[in-house]
Amino acid sequence: MRRLVAVLGAAMLVAVSCSSSGTPGGGASPSVAATEKPQQGGRVIEATISDIATMQPVLVNDTASGRITGLIYDNILQVDYKTGEPKPRLASATVSSDSLKYTFEMNAKAVWSDGKPLIADDWLTGLKAVGKSKKTVRKSTFKDVVGFTDYSDGKATSISGVAIDPANNKKWTVTMAKVSCSAIIDLIGYTLPTQVFGKYVTDSSKDEIDTAPENTNPTVVSGPFKFTEWRKGDQVILDKNATYWQGAPNIDQYVYKVVANQTAITNGLKTGEITWGTIQAKDLADVQTVATVKIDKYQNLGYTFIGWNTASPTAVGLADKRVRQALAYGIDMDQVIKAVVFGEATKQVSHHVPVQWAYPTGVQLEQYKYDKAKAQSLLKDAGWTPGPDGILQNAAGKKFNLTISTNSGNTERETLATVAAEQYKQLGINAKAAPEAFQGLVTKLTTGDSTLEATIIGWSLGAEPDPYSIWHSSQIPDPAKKVEGFGFTYFKDPAMDKAIEEARNPSNGDCTVASRKKQYETFNKILNENQPYNFGYANNVLAVSQQSLQSFKPGSFSAIYNVNEWWIKK
Amino acid sequence: MRNFLIRRALYAIPTLIGISIITFAIARLSPGDPIRLFTFGIKDFTQDDYLRLLHAYGLDKPIPLQYVDWLSNAVRLNFGESLIYHREAGTMILERLPNTLQLAVTALMLQLIIGVPLGVVAALRRGSWADGAIRVFGVAGHAVPAFWLGQVLIILFAIGLRWLPSQGMLTVGKDQLDLMDRLKHILLPAFVLALVGIANYSRILRTETLDVLGQDYIRTAHAKGLRERVVVYVHALRNSLIPVVTALGGILATLVGGALVIEQVFSWPGIGQFTFQAAIAKDYPIVQAGVMIASTLLVVSYVLRDLTYAIVDPRIKVA
Repeated sequence: MRRLVAVLGAAMLVAVSCSSSGTPGGGASPSVAATEKPQQGGRVIEATISDIATMQPVLVNDTASGRITGLIYDNILQVDYKTGEPKPRLASATVSSDSLKYTFEMNAKAVWSDGKPLIADDWLTGLKAVGKSKKTVRKSTFKDVVGFTDYSDGKATSISGVAIDPANNKKWTVTMAKVSCSAIIDLIGYTLPTQVFGKYVTDSSKDEIDTAPENTNPTVVSGPFKFTEWRKGDQVILDKNATYWQGAPNIDQYVYKVVANQTAITNGLKTGEITWGTIQAKDLADVQTVATVKIDKYQNLGYTFIGWNTASPTAVGLADKRVRQALAYGIDMDQVIKAVVFGEATKQVSHHVPVQWAYPTGVQLEQYKYDKAKAQSLLKDAGWTPGPDGILQNAAGKKFNLTISTNSGNTERETLATVAAEQYKQLGINAKAAPEAFQGLVTKLTTGDSTLEATIIGWSLGAEPDPYSIWHSSQIPDPAKKVEGFGFTYFKDPAMDKAIEEARNPSNGDCTVASRKKQYETFNKILNENQPYNFGYANNVLAVSQQSLQSFKPGSFSAIYNVNEWWIKK
Repeated sequence: MRNFLIRRALYAIPTLIGISIITFAIARLSPGDPIRLFTFGIKDFTQDDYLRLLHAYGLDKPIPLQYVDWLSNAVRLNFGESLIYHREAGTMILERLPNTLQLAVTALMLQLIIGVPLGVVAALRRGSWADGAIRVFGVAGHAVPAFWLGQVLIILFAIGLRWLPSQGMLTVGKDQLDLMDRLKHILLPAFVLALVGIANYSRILRTETLDVLGQDYIRTAHAKGLRERVVVYVHALRNSLIPVVTALGGILATLVGGALVIEQVFSWPGIGQFTFQAAIAKDYPIVQAGVMIASTLLVVSYVLRDLTYAIVDPRIKVA
C-alpha cells in the first residue's frame, strides 16, 4: 500500500492558471490583511440562472443543484481548487500496489449535523443509492467496482467489492474489477446519512430513493451549511451548520438566488443585491466601472471549439487532414477571441486545457498561427482550387460549401460562427453560419447526423482528464446501427485509441500522473496534427464579488472549497 | 345562471383536450430529446444508460400511447413527473402561479386605475393639450417593447437612483409579509406589464365616452338639470365601460402570457419564466402542465367576462 494522495501530490503537475484578482481600477484588491480576524455574521447571496432541481447528490445533473449539494454535503475527497489534485476531506485514501484496491478511512472528527459520526456505511449508502436509482445518470461511473452491476441489476443484495472493516466502522476497501486510473475521482461517490437514506436502500427497496422527500428537504448534513428553505423558482436558503466538523462558517446564511439571465446577474452585482456571481465578458468593461465590486479571473475548465465532420458526405473536403489544417491556419483565432469574448480567453490547440495536469507541456504542438498563405497552399495541395466564381472546387468540380452550425441563443457562439464563416470565405470556401435550437443540435451530434458539417459547441471538463467518452473510436456514433456517442467528428486513430486506453486502464497498472501524462501527450499530439476540431479557446471565468466579501478565492476547479472561511467585512 | 356555468364548463372540455393534443404533439415532434439534452457530455455515459433513462421516464413508448397515459393521469390532476425536477409538474406550476397572478392582478389594477381616468379626461377635454398628451402616451404605450422599457427602468430606478430593486419579488432576508418591500419589487414589473393595457383602455374609454356623451339620453340628463359630475360618472361612464369589459375578457390570460417577458426581465419567479426554461430543456410534463393551467385560466376568464356583462349591462342576459 502506498499513500495515493501523497503520490499524486508529489507527481502532479501544478498547472498555472490565469487566476488574478483586481479592483475596477486594476490595482491590487483592498482585501484585508490575512491577519485580520474574520467577523461573524452576514449573508452571502450567490446568483444562479437556473433553479435547483434536487438536493439529492445521486440525482444531481445540473450546476445549480450541484452547488447546493456541495454546500450541504462534504465528500470523502476534494479536488484542489487550482490544480484538480484530489485531497482528503471527509476521508483519507490509499491504493494497493496493483491499483485494484482502494482503502478509505473517515476522519475521526467528521460528524453529521445531528451529531452522529460519519462512518463507512454512509459512503456505502451513497453507492447503493446509485445502484437503486432509476433516474441517476451516474451508474456507469461505478461499473468497475466489483459487484456493483449485479447489485444495480437486482441480481445481488450487496456490493461484493465493498468491504467495511469489522474492527473499524470508519474504514472500508473498494475492489475494482480492473485497473482504472479515474477510480480515485470516481470513487469519491456520494456520502449520504444512513440514518436518513438507509431506509431507501434496503434489500427490498426498489427505486424509492428517486422520490424520497428528503431529496428536496434534507434534514441531516455533513457540509458547512444546512438546508433551511427552498422557495421554488426564487431562492434556496441555507443557514450555517454550527456543528460543522471543520469549524462553523463565519457567515450566518448562504442564499442561492435565482435570476432570469446574465443581465440580471450583472444588474444585481452593480446594485449590491447579489454578493457574488459570474458575468459574461461583454459585461466586464461595464462592471469594471463599479467601485463596490472586485473581479477574479481564472481559466474555465473547458473550451469552445469547431468540430469538423470528417465523414461528411457534403463537405467532403473535411475528410482530408490538410484541409482541416488549412482551416486552422485560415482563422485568426487571436482576433476572434478579441472580437467574440473581448480577449477573455486563451487559444486552445489541444483537448486538455492549461489548468489540467494532463495539459501537454512536454511535447511540441503546432500553434496554428494565422497564416492565410499557408492555408491556401494546403488547400491547393489537397486539390481545392478556385473555380470561375472564386469558390474552391475539387477535381470533380464539387464546390467547397461549409455550413457551420451552432446553438441559437448563445450569442458568443453565434458570433464565432459568423466570424469563422467570414474568414473562411476569404479562403474561397462558401461558408455560412447556421444557428439552430440546442435541443435539436444535441440530438444530431449524438446520433451522428450526417447533415452536420461543422459544429461550434463546448465541452466542460472535469478534474479527471480521461477523454475516452469523446475521443475513443468506440464512441463514434453509427446511425445505421442506432449507436450513439460523442465522437461526432468520426475521427479515429489506432495510436490515439491506444494512448487513451493506456491512460485509462494501463496494462502495466501504472496510474501515476507522470505515466498518464505521457500518454495524453501522445493523444494530444495526434489530435493537434489531425485537427478533427479547431480547438478554439478556453474562456476566462469572471467571478465578481462585493468588496465586503473576504477570503473569497475561486479557482478553476472550485469556487466554494473554503466557504466556511468566507466572511463579510462590515 | 347555474345552467350557464354548467354549459360553459362542458364547452371547455373539448377545447382543453384540443389544446392538450396540440401542445403534446408540438412538444414531442419538435427536434430534440430531453434525455440526450441533460446527459450531453457526461463522462462514461453509455447507450445502455440512455435506454434505461428513456424507459424510466416512459419516453420509449409510442407517442400516442404516451398521450393516452398522460391524459388518463391529467384528468386526475397528475400532470406527470418533471424530467428535470423529479416532482409532479402540476404542483410545481401551481407553486409559482400565485407569483404570476400577483403580478398580473396588480398590472390589471394599474391598467384600470390609470387607463380608465385617462380615457375619460381625454374625452372630456377633447382637443386640449391633455388630450394630445394622453393620445401620444397611448401610441407610445403600444410601441415601446416591454423588455427594452423594463431594462431602461432598471437602469434608471435600480442602478442609477437606487430607489427600487432590480429583480425578484422580495429582498433576500426580508419577512415574507413585508408589504412595503413587496410593493417596491412589484412596482416596475407591474407597470411595464400594464403599459399596453393602460394605452388600450385610455383609447377605448376616450372613444366610447365621446360616443356616449353625444347620445340622446345624456342630452336629456343635462336638460333635466343634473349636475355634470352625475351625468358623466353615473350615466355616461357606465355605458362607456361595456367595451372595457369586453377587452377584459381574457385579459388575465393575456397578462399571464405577457408576464413571460416581464418575468424574464425582472427575474420574477412565476410560471412564465419557469415554463419558458422548461420548454428549452424539453421538460414535457412541465410545459404541458403550464399550458393546460394557463388555458384553464383563459376559459375561466371568458366565463367571468360573460358574467360581468350582465352586471354592467342589464340588457344582456346570461342564459
